[in-house]
Amino acid sequence: MQSDRPGRFNDGRSASSRKVMVRAMATGVEIRGEDGFLIAVWKTDDLVADGELPDGKGVRLRCAAEPDARLAIADAVFVREALSVPPKRFRPVRWGLAAGLILGAGVLIGLYLSLPDLSRLGAAMMPPQTERAWGSQIAAGFERQMRACRSPAGSEALARLTDRLTAGLPPERRAVTVRVLDGKVVNALALPGAEIIVFRGLIDEAGGPDELAGVLAHELTHVAERHPAAALIRGLGVGVIATVITGDASGLVASGLVTVMASAYTRDDEAAADRGALALLTRAGIGKDGFAAFFHRLEGREASGGLLPAWMSTHPDSKARAEAVETATAAAKSLPPSLRDTEWQAIKAICGGV
Amino acid sequence: MTPEPIFPFRHHGRTGAAVRVALVNLGLNIVTLSFWRFWGRTNVRRLLWGGTSVWDDPVEYTGLGGELFKGFLLVLLVVYLPLLGLYGWAQVLIAAEDPRGGLMLAGLYPLTIFLIAVGGFRARRYQLSRTLWRGIRGGQTGSAVGYALRSMAVWVLVPLTLGWALPWGEMMLARYRLGHTTFGDRTFACDAGVKGLYARMAVMWLCGAVYLTLAVGFAVLLEQWGIEEEAGAFYLAMLALGAVFVLVVPWAWYRAAVFTRLAAGTSFDGHRFTAQVRTWPLIRLVLGNALISLFSLGVLRPWAAQRTFRFTCSVMAVDGVPDFAAIHQSADHGPSTGEGLVSVLDGAGEF
Repeated sequence: MQSDRPGRFNDGRSASSRKVMVRAMATGVEIRGEDGFLIAVWKTDDLVADGELPDGKGVRLRCAAEPDARLAIADAVFVREALSVPPKRFRPVRWGLAAGLILGAGVLIGLYLSLPDLSRLGAAMMPPQTERAWGSQIAAGFERQMRACRSPAGSEALARLTDRLTAGLPPERRAVTVRVLDGKVVNALALPGAEIIVFRGLIDEAGGPDELAGVLAHELTHVAERHPAAALIRGLGVGVIATVITGDASGLVASGLVTVMASAYTRDDEAAADRGALALLTRAGIGKDGFAAFFHRLEGREASGGLLPAWMSTHPDSKARAEAVETATAAAKSLPPSLRDTEWQAIKAICGGV
Repeated sequence: MTPEPIFPFRHHGRTGAAVRVALVNLGLNIVTLSFWRFWGRTNVRRLLWGGTSVWDDPVEYTGLGGELFKGFLLVLLVVYLPLLGLYGWAQVLIAAEDPRGGLMLAGLYPLTIFLIAVGGFRARRYQLSRTLWRGIRGGQTGSAVGYALRSMAVWVLVPLTLGWALPWGEMMLARYRLGHTTFGDRTFACDAGVKGLYARMAVMWLCGAVYLTLAVGFAVLLEQWGIEEEAGAFYLAMLALGAVFVLVVPWAWYRAAVFTRLAAGTSFDGHRFTAQVRTWPLIRLVLGNALISLFSLGVLRPWAAQRTFRFTCSVMAVDGVPDFAAIHQSADHGPSTGEGLVSVLDGAGEF
């Protein structure tokens, strides 16, 4: 069946639009000018449907061999009637889309898995004096909000305990600053560089010098393995990944994700610090019972339903930690206390009062 | 003799279609952790461009989501991550009380703003190169760096002059954009100046100054009288309501003049454009769009964009028909990837 249909044709070389007659052939369509001269022949295999004109005024066709040319035909029936094979819908290749999404997801998963190692590498590459300055800056910030506690006897006793523990560390990591701050929280912090902060609440809570020694050994391991700097770098990395996923540079979504993901990573650091603490205690000849006792004490606080001590928020279950410490192969039992009673009382009174 | 203006632009896209695309994009963005956004944006543009016709032939958007995605990845690796590293380093230096940290930040902030300006111009180049009509490509010439430097000069001068550099600055930037816009092998010409703008600018500025003075004055008085909280809330509500009348109306009056001047200053192939933008329809458009975006939390922005397209098409006229047979296909195919800088540094994006 041969019938001419009126249409408009753009040849893709100029912006002119010319009236044409379109004829359907067995092999494709012929496009002729109004004067009857042949302008173009589009093969059936090359035809691409290009949507409809507004208000049902017709359909548009394209030709794969001439990507810039356009043909509009006023009669929509034409396409169905004239073409044996329905023309291809114009669709960008979806394989690229799928591959891109898989690639993107792969890169993100890779980043997520390698983030702990990358941040450790970053912390190791940071110059020690920079890390130290960073840590003391943060510590100074704490000191501005809370009073720093010092007393001649107390500070000396604390320094002796610290020195005994750091003797088990590599020489370049032994210079550690331990500060006691007048805060109620039962907590201790390790900062980048070699800064450790112990809050008064923790000293009040501790039942003896060995318990404090356990906590100090734990924080010293963090310091020795540069966990704090790595954790801060990691937090930055998690923020970047969150920004990439969500495309939200405002950081709203990112900060939420950072909290969730960072705590998953922190547990590994805590377990490592508990193991390292046991080693330090053993080297210093201090019994591990105090360390375990401290965890039991925390467990008691959790069970009593009071506010969760800050110590807990990023740390694993206290009961499990106490058991891990108790079952670890021990040094000789019944070691003498790590400090004499007068020294311990001096530390207890370091913030004044009681 | 002035020729009769012709209105060749029409937008016939339906609201339902825009809302449907917006909702589908929302769903797919959630499922793909928002990775869909590049393809979603492309679908919205295809709808907006395709719903627009000029002399009864539809405009086409031929960009692909993959191109946006590749542009994003490229900028992420080459620009964003190094930049973030530098910011992190500067923070560490500042924490360590090293003066170089402050110096670094002082350099990084302008650099970031500069990159955003470059990105905006490059994004426009990408979009125009993917805009076809009658099979002929649009495009953009000019230098992104040159445009970014001009933009930064304007952004510095506007606050320094208490806003008075705004009409000059925005017309200068618009002249650069439009004067480097091409269709096929032809370039648009734009000689739009600030004529008539400064009178409206003065009214807008005075209204702003009066409003600010009154607002601060009342706040001080309330403070002195020791008014309690309900009165404070009432005062805030009155302040917001007042802003609509005292600030929005003069602002729209000024914007309408900007659009009109811009269109009147622009010509293609010797034919001048005109835009009959009046203040009230503009207020309706802008406030409507703001409410749509606000109440849909940005999800229905494609609908708001469609309203803008519809509005623009209804006001734009041209004083003659260009000689289309003499306009030939552009040799420039445009960039192969697109909009990376914008999608990375200005995450909120367009749609």
